[in-house]
Amino acid sequence: MHAADDVTFVLRPGTITALVGESGSGKSTVARLLARLYQPTAGQVLFDGVDVAGARRRRDLLRYRSQVQMIFQDPFGSLNPVKTIRHHLARPLRIHGRVERGGVEARVQELLETVGLVPAEKYAAKFPHELSGGQRQRVAIARALAVEPAVLVADEPTSMLDVSIRVGILNLMLDLKERERLAFLYVTHDLASARYVADTVLVMYAGQIVEQGAAEQVLQRPLHPYTQLLLASVPDPAVTERAPITARKGLAAAAVDPPPGCRFVERCPLRIPVCSERTPELVEASPGQSARCHVTAPSPARREDLHVEHVQ
Amino acid sequence: MSQLQPTVGDVEIVPLSVAAASGPSRRRLPGWLSLLLANPKSRVGLGLVGFMVIVALISPLISVSHPTDFNLLAARQAPSWHHLFGTTDQGSDIFSQVVLGARRSLILGAASALLATVLATVLGILAAYSGGIIDEVVNFLTNVFLVIPTIPLLIVISSYLKARGMTTMILVLGLTLWSFEARILRGQALSLKNRDFVQAAKVAGESTWRIVFGELMPNMISRIAAAFVLVFYVALLVDAGLEFLGLGDNTHVSWGMTLYWAQTNSAVLQGEWWPFFFPGLALVLTVVGLVFLLAGIDEVSNPRLRNLRRSK
Amino acid sequence: MISVVGEPEPVTRPARETLLELRGLSVAYGDVRAVDNIDLTISAGEILGLAGESGCGKTTVANAVMQILRPPAHIAGGSILFRGEDLTALSAEGLRKHRWRNVSMVFQSAMSALNPVMRVGNQFVDMMRAHERIDKRRALARTGELLEIVGIDPRRIRAYPHELSGGMRQRVIIAMALALRPELVIMDEPTTALDVVVQREILQQVSDLQAELGFAVLFITHDLSLLFEFAERIAIMYAGEIVEEAPGGRLHRNARHPYTLGLMRSFPPLTGPIVRMTGIPGSPPDLAAPPAGCRFHPRCPHCAAGDTELFALQTAVRPTLEEIAPGHQVACHLVERDG
Repeated sequence: MHAADDVTFVLRPGTITALVGESGSGKSTVARLLARLYQPTAGQVLFDGVDVAGARRRRDLLRYRSQVQMIFQDPFGSLNPVKTIRHHLARPLRIHGRVERGGVEARVQELLETVGLVPAEKYAAKFPHELSGGQRQRVAIARALAVEPAVLVADEPTSMLDVSIRVGILNLMLDLKERERLAFLYVTHDLASARYVADTVLVMYAGQIVEQGAAEQVLQRPLHPYTQLLLASVPDPAVTERAPITARKGLAAAAVDPPPGCRFVERCPLRIPVCSERTPELVEASPGQSARCHVTAPSPARREDLHVEHVQ
Repeated sequence: MSQLQPTVGDVEIVPLSVAAASGPSRRRLPGWLSLLLANPKSRVGLGLVGFMVIVALISPLISVSHPTDFNLLAARQAPSWHHLFGTTDQGSDIFSQVVLGARRSLILGAASALLATVLATVLGILAAYSGGIIDEVVNFLTNVFLVIPTIPLLIVISSYLKARGMTTMILVLGLTLWSFEARILRGQALSLKNRDFVQAAKVAGESTWRIVFGELMPNMISRIAAAFVLVFYVALLVDAGLEFLGLGDNTHVSWGMTLYWAQTNSAVLQGEWWPFFFPGLALVLTVVGLVFLLAGIDEVSNPRLRNLRRSK
Repeated sequence: MISVVGEPEPVTRPARETLLELRGLSVAYGDVRAVDNIDLTISAGEILGLAGESGCGKTTVANAVMQILRPPAHIAGGSILFRGEDLTALSAEGLRKHRWRNVSMVFQSAMSALNPVMRVGNQFVDMMRAHERIDKRRALARTGELLEIVGIDPRRIRAYPHELSGGMRQRVIIAMALALRPELVIMDEPTTALDVVVQREILQQVSDLQAELGFAVLFITHDLSLLFEFAERIAIMYAGEIVEEAPGGRLHRNARHPYTLGLMRSFPPLTGPIVRMTGIPGSPPDLAAPPAGCRFHPRCPHCAAGDTELFALQTAVRPTLEEIAPGHQVACHLVERDG
């Protein structure tokens, strides 16, 4: 089973990359692959140019984990209910030997202050159930920061939180990006929040990246019909007149054993015959923006074909 | 043993330590104890069991005579001020036999419960967490022990064993009674292990050993305690049953042995009810106490049951 | 796309008659008041949106109207009038008739609302036969029609719930809610678990059906932006109270309550300039010990000790809903003072 297929992207320090898609698109699989909760069946994960996908030895894995950390979706599930906040932050410090013995407590407080939980000593002694959802998610972020990673994978960190709390977490991500020069992978289904925080957007559909590029470019001038459909579906009160949705009804192509051709073909309003025959490549159709679509981002060879047809 | 099954997979647990820590009471009792005392069922259970434990502790002080002293002149006496619980056909004081028997019965029950619980906890959680071949093997073993009917097996084993000392009995009971607990704990660990806090611990770099015993197990303390109590009373009953059938250690005093001698010497046929009644009562009170304690633990650690109570 | 705003109803009933009225309704869990003295009116054939964060009591309102509160929750005061009849006074048999026939409900989780081991069609038949005398063949035929109007192939009548996608299951639930032609359908976060594309399709369908069949909808959600597109009137709930109520368009342009404004500022825009947003600091209060005075004052940007007179009001006196424009009510001391 290929939950994610031929996914290639780059994370750079001091940037937030949003990975957007619907449930089942494989975006969480990518996040968990990066966090090494699953093992990739093929391909490479390059960290500073070194392939770390195959690291299995505990020492290698630990070194990887000290660079790549993850924040989970459910702040109610990601903290151990019987352990104090202090335990959650002190463990990674001890495992990775980030501070000297006597310095753990000071570092724990520092971390809590970094994520805006003050007074820190009060929060350190609490149990998870004594905190609100937003506060727990801040603890989860502090835990991820404890090892001073270079990469933070955030898997829908706001989707379980109340609306009024979400912005606070998004702002925290923006602050951390600036201050700590972190490279974020922000996995989400919420396009508006992706636009708010991200520099780069990757759109995933049925296990493939179907469009990628600078955030504003992708979200304001989407190339792929799926991105267009997503954008048309998001409730946005700023838009008063809305064209009815033109998508065909159909199921997303199964990521398991996909047929040849474009995976979006069943639902696509723009489809042409070639779409069900050949899988489109990710083609850079305008500077800094690529899409996987025979129609809106035809490959150079394909462009020739179209041209020929047109001439005839 | 169908009453052992319904808790499998029930994960709605509040760790006792946490629930207690958040409680308002700041008395000097340990948290879990004040919590159990607040629940009427476990209060009754603790009272009964506590009473039996005290009796067992002070039994040498309150026993009137050496329990196997015989005095044919005082044989087969009904309860009186001199012999509170009457005497046996050999003229031994039944009161002394019952209070001294409490010691043996309780130690035997507790020790076999401890052995079974340790086995079940280690095997159950480890199997659930590691999965794969370890899980297969443990599961197979558990199933084998589950389908072997315990009591006939014990009868066979005890009748072959030359030395039926207490240690032997503890080993036999502990090694045969662990399987249903292992099944329960494995089920619970299975549902816990997919919670994000376990994944988060993995991402933080915790070792398997620490995840199992440092992160998972503290969440299961109440269930483990319940399992301990359960095996405790099953072991008590099975032990008394074996002894009653004459498969016990007849060099020692215990409730089962008193019952055995009463039956062998056809006490009831002679119209003597007391050699049956008093050891039987002690056994029943202890088991009832443990059953109440178990129900109390269940209620305290399962918020759904707690709410049901409150709404009544 | 949705053109029901202000349109008269189909001829079957005179327009805008009051269908459901909550008068001073309070619901308590033990001693904790999850819903505290709220007034709310739904007219026949209108879509009323009820928005608020988790724990604000919006689902409790729905459960109270359906009369499916489970102990320890109970109605602690006030009345629920459906066409003038007080539901809190109904007998068990009266309630059984009331539910589903007058008011039906669409739950958030379709998977738990459907019986996983029963074919979809049979679940419809059981439900219908619990309420009226109808033979199985006719019930099945009507089920087919119902599935068709929500856009599902009637042959799916023989499917088990797990054979349907999440969106289809939610459609099935909606069809079931419409089966007895109720006058009011309560939808409690009906699309929260769904992807945006499916969410939009379903909402479109609901509003089409609503225009066609003329039932009223009480639409409960945490997603205010959804209501701006979909609801005629919107009520905002905070900590068990309704703090603002207005027609959708007016609320969008002229929201006055600081909480409503904070909520609106919590949704990043998909178009237009990106500005740094603030959200709402703090978190909702513990209803076991709600703040004195205005329940929002600890989080309110306009509550500062500097303005002594106002501060005294905000921290001591509970504001009441005041009408500031036709159909627009706000419960806020600041708005009351400044108009």
